[in-house]
Amino acid sequence: MSEIDDLVAKIVQQIGGTEAADQTTATPTSTATQTQHAALSKQDYPLYSKHPELVHSPSGKALNDITLDNVLNDDIKANDLRITPDTLRMQGEVANDAGRDAVQRNFQRASELTSIPDDRLLEMYNALRPYRSTKAELLAISAELKDKYHAPVNAGWFAEAADYYESRKKLKGDN
Amino acid sequence: MAQEIDENLLRNIIRDVIAETQTGDTPISFKDDAPAASSATTATAAPVNGDGPEPEKPVDWFKHVGVAKPGYSRDEVVIAVAPAFAEVMDHNLTGISHKEILRQMVAGIEEEGLKARVVKVYRTSDVSFCGAEGDHLSGSGIAIAIQSKGTTIIHQKDQEPLSNLELFPQAPVLDGDTYRAIGKNAAEYAKGMSPSPVPTVNDQMARVQYQALSALMHIKETKQVVMGKPAEQIEVNFN
Amino acid sequence: MKRQKRFEELEKRPIHLDGFVKEWPEEGFVAMMGPNDPKPSIKIENGKVTEMDSKPAADFDLIDLYIAKYGIKLENAEKVMAMDSTKIANMLCDPNVSRKDIIDITTAMTPAKAEEVISKLNFAEMIMATQKMRPRRTPATQCHVTNIRDNPVQIAADAADAALRGFPEQETTTAVARYAPLNAISIMVGAQTGRPGVITQCSVEEAEELSLGMRGFTGYAETISVYGTDKVFTDGDDTPWSKGFLASCYASRGLKMRFTSGSGSEVMMGYTEGKSMLYLESRCIFITKASGVQGLQNGGVSCIGIPGSVPSGIRSVLGENLLCMMLDLECASANDQAFSHSDMRRTERLLGQFIAGTDYISSGYSSTPNYDNTFAGSNTDGLDYDDYYVMERDLAINGGIHPVDEQTIIKARNKAARALQAVFEDLGLPKITDEEVEAATYANTSKDMPERNMVEDMKAAQDLMDRGITGVDIVKALFNHGFKDVAQAVLDLQKQKVCGDFLQTSAIFDSKWHVISAVNDANDYQGPGTGYRLEEDTEEWERIKNLPFAIDPQNMQL
Repeated sequence: MSEIDDLVAKIVQQIGGTEAADQTTATPTSTATQTQHAALSKQDYPLYSKHPELVHSPSGKALNDITLDNVLNDDIKANDLRITPDTLRMQGEVANDAGRDAVQRNFQRASELTSIPDDRLLEMYNALRPYRSTKAELLAISAELKDKYHAPVNAGWFAEAADYYESRKKLKGDN
Repeated sequence: MAQEIDENLLRNIIRDVIAETQTGDTPISFKDDAPAASSATTATAAPVNGDGPEPEKPVDWFKHVGVAKPGYSRDEVVIAVAPAFAEVMDHNLTGISHKEILRQMVAGIEEEGLKARVVKVYRTSDVSFCGAEGDHLSGSGIAIAIQSKGTTIIHQKDQEPLSNLELFPQAPVLDGDTYRAIGKNAAEYAKGMSPSPVPTVNDQMARVQYQALSALMHIKETKQVVMGKPAEQIEVNFN
Repeated sequence: MKRQKRFEELEKRPIHLDGFVKEWPEEGFVAMMGPNDPKPSIKIENGKVTEMDSKPAADFDLIDLYIAKYGIKLENAEKVMAMDSTKIANMLCDPNVSRKDIIDITTAMTPAKAEEVISKLNFAEMIMATQKMRPRRTPATQCHVTNIRDNPVQIAADAADAALRGFPEQETTTAVARYAPLNAISIMVGAQTGRPGVITQCSVEEAEELSLGMRGFTGYAETISVYGTDKVFTDGDDTPWSKGFLASCYASRGLKMRFTSGSGSEVMMGYTEGKSMLYLESRCIFITKASGVQGLQNGGVSCIGIPGSVPSGIRSVLGENLLCMMLDLECASANDQAFSHSDMRRTERLLGQFIAGTDYISSGYSSTPNYDNTFAGSNTDGLDYDDYYVMERDLAINGGIHPVDEQTIIKARNKAARALQAVFEDLGLPKITDEEVEAATYANTSKDMPERNMVEDMKAAQDLMDRGITGVDIVKALFNHGFKDVAQAVLDLQKQKVCGDFLQTSAIFDSKWHVISAVNDANDYQGPGTGYRLEEDTEEWERIKNLPFAIDPQNMQL
């Protein structure tokens, strides 16, 4: 379920948050308040103690709702114990403010990947390893990332790899 | 004890690899100011050969019989040896001969009633990728890969190349019995059994002592790699 | 030749068992500035790199392409490349030049330029520079927790033991790969029992390691290896693009991670392209930076015998740690592999990182005796604890750990073993007996442990993965058997993954789960009176001062 929740949250975020009400399954993660805050700085860190109210689970549970009692009565499940695109974006802002733009770019790519199921993500990684895939296979994953998971940066990453793997002989059969 | 053998081996290999001009046991001359004999031991850092592989020295017990084909018999275990095995180097890091290693391994497999098929890999000198090439040729999907320096792995077809069923990274602690036990375990995996992993000694100083030598042997092995060359089937004869 | 008697005695000393090799640049047996290393250069046209380190873009391999595109701040690059390397080296050890000013320069360099800068520093200057360039103000260290039988009860007890001694990060691996899930669970439960806030990892094959993290069995990962030549990178079964993607996969699951590299790996794997160890390592560090990964484990690491075999090799290894920190990356500075037969030499190996302080002085201090270390032994082990404590006390240096009294350790080991016993029972894993709990409480090595049925354990490990067990099941299991505090700690770890604070550079936690990282504990060293001072960290200094075996003259019975 969390994959669907994440996906919904993602789409809502892309639309701009204003149309959240149209989503019948809309989750609290996608409320406009969270998508409109000013960029965080080093001073806002750590979020755990300084801004727990900004952090939610993929299904919209507040950070402070992650308690032993809620785990025991199944209000919090394994799928709730995951980071969201919003939180990754905020941590990216903190990293950038601390002078680490490369780390922020990694978090941006990561935020696109949160909605991809574990097994599929592992398959994608394995497909990108040397001699595993044809160029067409890499481009198909690129399209899947773009169309199915709304992950344009990672789609570009796979397309770029497909090109370079071709010229630098890392495609299936090149070994 | 084992120390002296190892030191000699180290010397031989370094000499082999970097064409060091080793002095014999020459008495020191007290007569003049000419450089002492020992100064001649200074290594000349010139490689023997360029980057290409050196020719294999054919040995009678290890015969090439053409390109290795995928096997369909479920009762075989493939032993994939690395490119310098038997024909460029002939013993492992601690001096156990390649012939003895294979003899033990094949015996271990046969004890379990399975057949051993030996292939020589050329595409890579990496033990994991030798294993991955071997298990794709193996009818049972199980392969043992072994490098000339002695590092060994048991690998199964559906595993990622760098994963393994059992890995024996510390070649210096492997003896004949261990190689036999590795053969036996591989055969048991091929029969669908779950054997207890082969117990190995953990000698934390082995790597300290052998790492540089191990690198020199691996460099020599790596020079034998031929990109794109398929594995060859080997007929072994221990008589 | 007639032997001189003193020479004969000297040859019996342990140092003679170490491996030394004369330089052989063609095969990479040279520490730094080898004759085939490229001359530093950069050419930029229309915002794209057209030449880097004397190589035109058309000849770039995947590593060059990746660094040129993602690893260098091009705005400043031409200016920085024109600066004198000796001058930059001078700024590195001048306390009046701030860390930030240096980073503006170093992040705009090429790998060959960075190597040249490092080569201008002698060992003492490297220590001075490291003290300033370490990202986190407070130094720390990491440990290994393993045993050669993969005995889970012993792992839990040893993890609790190590947690109390002060290691904020703990790493396990397997003797047999299929044990991985059990080892990951055992170290996590043990560490959280010893001291909440410790994060744990299990080093296995890349895809499997990620999968353990996704299930909540680990908190971070480190053995994501990168290499300095294209062929070795391929033999490592990755490309820069797959490793960069893997880095983002970890962050997408809220897991901390750093890459691993280290000089000598390309020599060990046979493809150096004739380049020096430091130049190839410099490429690895730039790949890490390019990937946006927060940190790196480097400094020879498991290949330390290779740089250790050539002249200036151990200096070069401190140089590669420094280079990592110069690029503003968390540095776990190795010292994690059995290195020498000589006690004097293994202290020498540790010295630079120990005196300067790094984010993790060791990236694997063996918490057990080396007999049980399945990373093939570490430079310092569980039997060196007292020597290490004395070094910290003598020099007033925080080396990352402190003495703990025997009774406290016994209690924690016992509780961790019982907590794991409860988890195994609740999850239907092979039984842990009371006899095993007792043995683990008092064990020194796995020789002191009863045998377990390894085949059954491995089947159970696979079954556990097939059943989809997660961290939440472990929290419940602990709670159901009365280990409420440990359950809370394991849950708090999972909660941190939702929050992501520990994805920032150089992050560790204290026992209250307060994060300590290069964001809120940034290194501000600028000479005497600044930066981390052990005397000002009064609690830790008290612990180090109170060596249990020191005589108390005021309460002495004479």
